[in-house]
Amino acid sequence: MGTKVPGPRSAPAPSPDPAAALKRRARRENLAGYLFMSPWIAGFLLLTAGPMIASLYFAFTDYNLFDAPKWIGLANFEEMFADPRWRHSVSVTLWYVVIGTPLKLLLALGVALLLAQKRRGQGFYRAAFYAPSLIGASVSVAIVWKAIFSDDGPVDKAQRTFFGVDVGGWIGDPQWILYALVGLTVWQFGAPMVIFLAGLKQVPRELYEAAEVDGAGPWRRFWSITLPMISPVLFFNILLETIHSFQIFASAYIVGGGAGGSACGPADGSLVYTCYLYVQGFENSRMGLASAMAWMLLVAVALVTAVLFWSQKRWVHYEEGAR
Amino acid sequence: MHESRSVDRRAMLKIAGGSVAALGLTTAGCGGGAGAGDGTVTLRYSWWGADDRAKRINETIKLFEKKFPKIKIKTDFQPYPDFWKKFNTQASGGNPPDVFQNAIGFLRKYDAKNVLLDLHPQAKAGHLRLEGFRAGLEKFGEVDGKLLGVPVGSNSMALVIDKNVYTKAGVKPEQGWTWDEFDAALKSISDKTDRAGDSGMYGVMYLYDLYLRQNGKAFFTEKSLGFTEADLKQWWEKGKKDTESGLVAPTKKVVQAKPKSAVTAELAAGEFTWDNFTNRYTAEGKSEYGLAPIPTTDGKKTGQYLGSLMLSGSKRTKHPKEVAQFIDFMVHDPEVAKIMGYDRGVPSTTSQYEAFKPTDPVAKEIAAYEESLVAAGVLEPITPHPAGADVCEMAFMRLAEEVGLGTRSVDEAVKQFFTESKTALGS
Repeated sequence: MGTKVPGPRSAPAPSPDPAAALKRRARRENLAGYLFMSPWIAGFLLLTAGPMIASLYFAFTDYNLFDAPKWIGLANFEEMFADPRWRHSVSVTLWYVVIGTPLKLLLALGVALLLAQKRRGQGFYRAAFYAPSLIGASVSVAIVWKAIFSDDGPVDKAQRTFFGVDVGGWIGDPQWILYALVGLTVWQFGAPMVIFLAGLKQVPRELYEAAEVDGAGPWRRFWSITLPMISPVLFFNILLETIHSFQIFASAYIVGGGAGGSACGPADGSLVYTCYLYVQGFENSRMGLASAMAWMLLVAVALVTAVLFWSQKRWVHYEEGAR
Repeated sequence: MHESRSVDRRAMLKIAGGSVAALGLTTAGCGGGAGAGDGTVTLRYSWWGADDRAKRINETIKLFEKKFPKIKIKTDFQPYPDFWKKFNTQASGGNPPDVFQNAIGFLRKYDAKNVLLDLHPQAKAGHLRLEGFRAGLEKFGEVDGKLLGVPVGSNSMALVIDKNVYTKAGVKPEQGWTWDEFDAALKSISDKTDRAGDSGMYGVMYLYDLYLRQNGKAFFTEKSLGFTEADLKQWWEKGKKDTESGLVAPTKKVVQAKPKSAVTAELAAGEFTWDNFTNRYTAEGKSEYGLAPIPTTDGKKTGQYLGSLMLSGSKRTKHPKEVAQFIDFMVHDPEVAKIMGYDRGVPSTTSQYEAFKPTDPVAKEIAAYEESLVAAGVLEPITPHPAGADVCEMAFMRLAEEVGLGTRSVDEAVKQFFTESKTALGS
């Protein structure tokens, strides 16, 4: 990017009017800029913006992929709210978000605090804790996860051997399958951990030194210095992880798939929102309803984000000049 | 995680527009079946099934390509549920495979969507022989006078049992036994052995269909459901009772054992399913597995019919003649039968039926079972299911499971089933 390419652009413009030449050149550079961006712009318009607008339209239609979409107004939304299975998927998703996100962030913060100290082999530990985040979102890990928590899998065997309880694998249990999924996301705490680590490094040492002089113990130092100082990072992590949790699909679909008559877990145990969206769209061929569900999710996530942003005024501490 | 962090916003948009994006991509796909300059024609052929089936089919394709050097076959296969998702997306984008595996539950659905090729004109033109089919099977793929599928094999619902457990419990099922006798059998199995009698028959749509047929009804009429909420309530109440009393294996255990069957996971002594599943159970389990007759209401009528896997063509294909020739070869050629065995059921044509004489006891048992059904004169004709039947089946299975698990009451489940079915069959 930084190299200069000798060409017509660097040659002096033989124009009598320097201002017009400059303008022309600027226009040419703009054009070049847009040309370089054009693959992205085309991709954005064709693959993201276009389909999004189309799906907004489909949300108000009855559309089965084969026949032309039929305008039905708000009927999709009415059906959605009246559907007990939809309400169930909302509650499954909320449980997943409410349990999984705090657990993951607590673990990430805890491990980050341990790893922030100078010890031998820190590099190795950081890499080791971060690794699951790199591979955790993959299909293969979800398949392995399913095997681990299935009947007669390692977890089931451990339950029997160490605790003497024969409750079977988690995957086949309508309640426990959700916790297998929560476990999978919590296990990937490495990504927020790295962000916490970066935040912890930014906390000025002299604050701790001053506090120690004043006789503050480790607990007090954590509450009064560390937590306020990293609150912007904490806010960032909460925001990202919450939004991310709402969108869980691949792991729920793979771990819960094939476990019963439902596409997502026994008795819809892991029927998260996007899974149900997928079922309606691709299994039941109801693309209109699925589009309506997608927009509903977008609105819900936007609302949650707005609430988080509103709340940050009360608890997020920005250093003066940082904002 | 690391990666998704940077694309969070885009991922969110993608979820919103994902379904449509997928559609856009498929429509952008190629038309398929392009012919080369030398008159060579390429057909796309797809089916559902396991690896073993794919190996066999690929061998039969080699035979076909040797005999028809101008026709090349491109293949594609998935497990059953994935197959239909992919097919549905391809078909809606106007790009379905030229020829594909099909079943009775999908004929009306895709005929209504203008996807299936009527093969009658090709048969008249002599590219597809409709003679030599067993038990009138050539009629099975006919809907409203159109030939939408040609059966490759036949199978029938049966009670697949663990023979050792049945012997141990002293139960000997005979053709024409009644539901009362079957209930007594379940009782003695759970009393005398460590197994439950059955795997959870109340969620098997095809069995409930037989039960309804025995009582002069059917699961589906041409356009809707052929039974009432009260009928289903009775069926599921009994299911709940038998599951609670232990005659039927606990649903939770059955679900946890999946993808293994409850029979091979040694939870239940028997399961109502298609007779060709005996092959799978024999490969999966340690015991000896066999087939028992379907219990009856009146001592005679079982309600059974021959089901079958079929081959269908796409209405969009540019090469209907070659599609017909391909199907003709696959259903009539004796060598194909020797390769396929009973993988897709008992071969549908006499030439193939006679070409493959099973040597292993399981295949022999399947052949004997279907012959016994013919001999007992219990086979009935079947009307092709209405569009949306596949969605009803999924709902039936799921809601019966919820009843068994106790997460939903029978009343609620019945209500929910009728709500979902009406939506599925209405659209």
